Amino acid sequence: MRQVAFYGKGGIGKSTTQQNIAAALASMGKKVMVVGCDPKADCTRLLLGGVRQPSVLDTLRDFGAERVNLERVMVPGYATVRCVESGGPEPGVGCGGRGVITAIQTLETLGAYEDDLDYVFYDVLGDVVCGGFAMPIREGYAEEIYIVCSGEYMALFAANNICKGIKKFAERGYARLGGLICNSRLVENERALVEEFARRLNSKMIHFVPRSKDVQRAEINKKTVIDYDPSLPQAEEYRQLARKIDSNTEFTIPTPITQDELEDLMREYGIVD
Amino acid sequence: MKFTCNQNLPERAIHIALKGPDGGCQRGDGSGCFIASNVPTTPGDMTERGCTYAGCRGVVGGPVKDAIQLTHGPIGCAFFSWGYRPHLADSDFHIKYTFVSDMNETNIVFGGEKKLLQCIIEASREFPDARAVFIYNTCSTALIGDDGRDVAKQAEELIGKPVVFFECEGFRGVSQSMGHHVGNETIFRQLVGSVEPEGDFSRSINIIGDYNIKNDLRTFEYLFEAVGLKILTRFTGNVSVDELKIMHKAPLNVVHCQRSATYIADMMRDKYGTPYINVTLWGIKNMSQALRDTAAFFGLEAQAEEVIERELARIQPGLDYYRQRLQGKTVFIYQGGPRVWHWIELLRELGMETMTAATTFGHDDDYQKIFRQLKEGALVVDNPNGPEIEEILRERRPDLFISGNKEKYVAYKMGVPFVNGHTYDTGPYAGFVGMVNFARDIDKALHAPIWKTLRSRARPAPVAHHTSHGFEEVE
Repeated sequence: MRQVAFYGKGGIGKSTTQQNIAAALASMGKKVMVVGCDPKADCTRLLLGGVRQPSVLDTLRDFGAERVNLERVMVPGYATVRCVESGGPEPGVGCGGRGVITAIQTLETLGAYEDDLDYVFYDVLGDVVCGGFAMPIREGYAEEIYIVCSGEYMALFAANNICKGIKKFAERGYARLGGLICNSRLVENERALVEEFARRLNSKMIHFVPRSKDVQRAEINKKTVIDYDPSLPQAEEYRQLARKIDSNTEFTIPTPITQDELEDLMREYGIVD
Repeated sequence: MKFTCNQNLPERAIHIALKGPDGGCQRGDGSGCFIASNVPTTPGDMTERGCTYAGCRGVVGGPVKDAIQLTHGPIGCAFFSWGYRPHLADSDFHIKYTFVSDMNETNIVFGGEKKLLQCIIEASREFPDARAVFIYNTCSTALIGDDGRDVAKQAEELIGKPVVFFECEGFRGVSQSMGHHVGNETIFRQLVGSVEPEGDFSRSINIIGDYNIKNDLRTFEYLFEAVGLKILTRFTGNVSVDELKIMHKAPLNVVHCQRSATYIADMMRDKYGTPYINVTLWGIKNMSQALRDTAAFFGLEAQAEEVIERELARIQPGLDYYRQRLQGKTVFIYQGGPRVWHWIELLRELGMETMTAATTFGHDDDYQKIFRQLKEGALVVDNPNGPEIEEILRERRPDLFISGNKEKYVAYKMGVPFVNGHTYDTGPYAGFVGMVNFARDIDKALHAPIWKTLRSRARPAPVAHHTSHGFEEVE
């Protein structure tokens, strides 16, 4: 079983990319579980055709710990991908970070990981604000991490920051960076920039996902591209990305760069002048 | 004194000092600097300090007799808020009941504000006679950012009584001392001066920093009354919420515990211009001085002298009896803070000398007062840990150890007579008559028949011991 966590700046397309990869792997016959680690609980929407499933924490609150079971919180989605949402408090109250910890520990207690799974995906909200949101990359959970980014400055800035966090965990002996996924925003020279950025981080850009209207089209229909129309070229992109992840063997400890270095890099590639 | 138990904890050296021949401080690290206090505990040091919540809930807020005392936090925090401190009053609501919002896992994740509001409403409905709700914040609810102040404001409108929110999260400050400060500051801001009563308060005082442990007030309230003064508000022993609200009307604050309550005296001086005097209400000399100083403020010196003379005559036979029994004994006092320096003189009046003094959370001014009174060669320890206390008992062999419940059985195991100064063996110990109680308890501890048995040569247990109790002999 491979446990994979996806991180990246908020709004970069993490959840969409992650669900498309999960759908692609599932269509190749892999057994996948997706764990949404975002209080907004919107990480499995496309796999479930827009159905809002009860989250682990909502169930825990409404029914009590002894009545939470996998049947309640784990719902089969597209191609039997198992979908779980941690859920969490509304903005401004409580502790979402503690929520993620509680949800993952609850899943473990319930035996969600003991099955014959090939992949567990953790989809973590954009800003890793406290220890709770680093839970998926603690010991015993995700050992591979992919960062979704684009060629925009703030996306790279966020990716660099996430690498600082990964480095800390990696030095303790767990969690490695599997690569950067560039979700294109049609920025000039984007592919070369992200490739170079990844190289400096001691990693690689594992795939360049081109921008396509088909993604939005599928989303409006509450589906992944794979599900919406597997013959689309964008579906093939996601399948390629899924195959690359499936065969990836290069996992590294990232070497985050300084802010000055990052700004120089942007200048070098002609985006900032 | 070099502590062998501190071999691996060299940081403790600056918290240990001897009173030198010149009256100066000889610190454990060899420097002449003053003893270090009120600083964070060194990691690895098994400190006996409490938390900010303990200082606020347990010491300052807890004695208020007609407030619902509600801990906002997990159930365990509430357990340690109940039944360990005999801050008595003329009613027992605050002793009988403790309240908690019982934060559990899902409350922490989803926020505890709603549950807190429900708790306040429920508690005030169950106990309509309570005059206010005091809420004490804890670590967990502070970390998740529950807005207790806002909940208190909402609740106040709903229940129509003061709802006071203490921001006394356990992790603030280096010891419980920070909790005293929070308690003073919050009560001052939220309650003091919130009503303007009619009447003549010209002959009234507030006693600041007495918590009525085992009815201490009973030993000195009547003395001030005999002088012709009324105690308007006691901060916070046997006090009601309504009394706290009007305490700004008193023309003088008489500050007893100068560690935990000088804060409110300072704030009242700054806002209302109320002067304050520092007093000690333990022992003959100090209690007399307290009455004289207070009376002098009101021009009642003659009445004070009369009261002092009458009271001293009353306790003299008792004191004389105990003094000859206690003469020449050495004492190790370890208290939270000020009681150490409050009692050095009292013990001297009983013929005893304090040779070792320690406090859990004393500040610089407490240690100044301790050093000023001690004899040359006396040892002072700040924030002592368990092994240090054992070593003091073993190496310095005091005739008597005055401390709190945590140290009681350590002292007994090591064969050192012990008196509970924290919550009193019997009590009360304050005032003139309390001093006789104190002397009686010390006498009982020192001359208990058990010591004779222990000090005679130990005999091996008889071989038949086990079998005679129905146990099989084990080979």
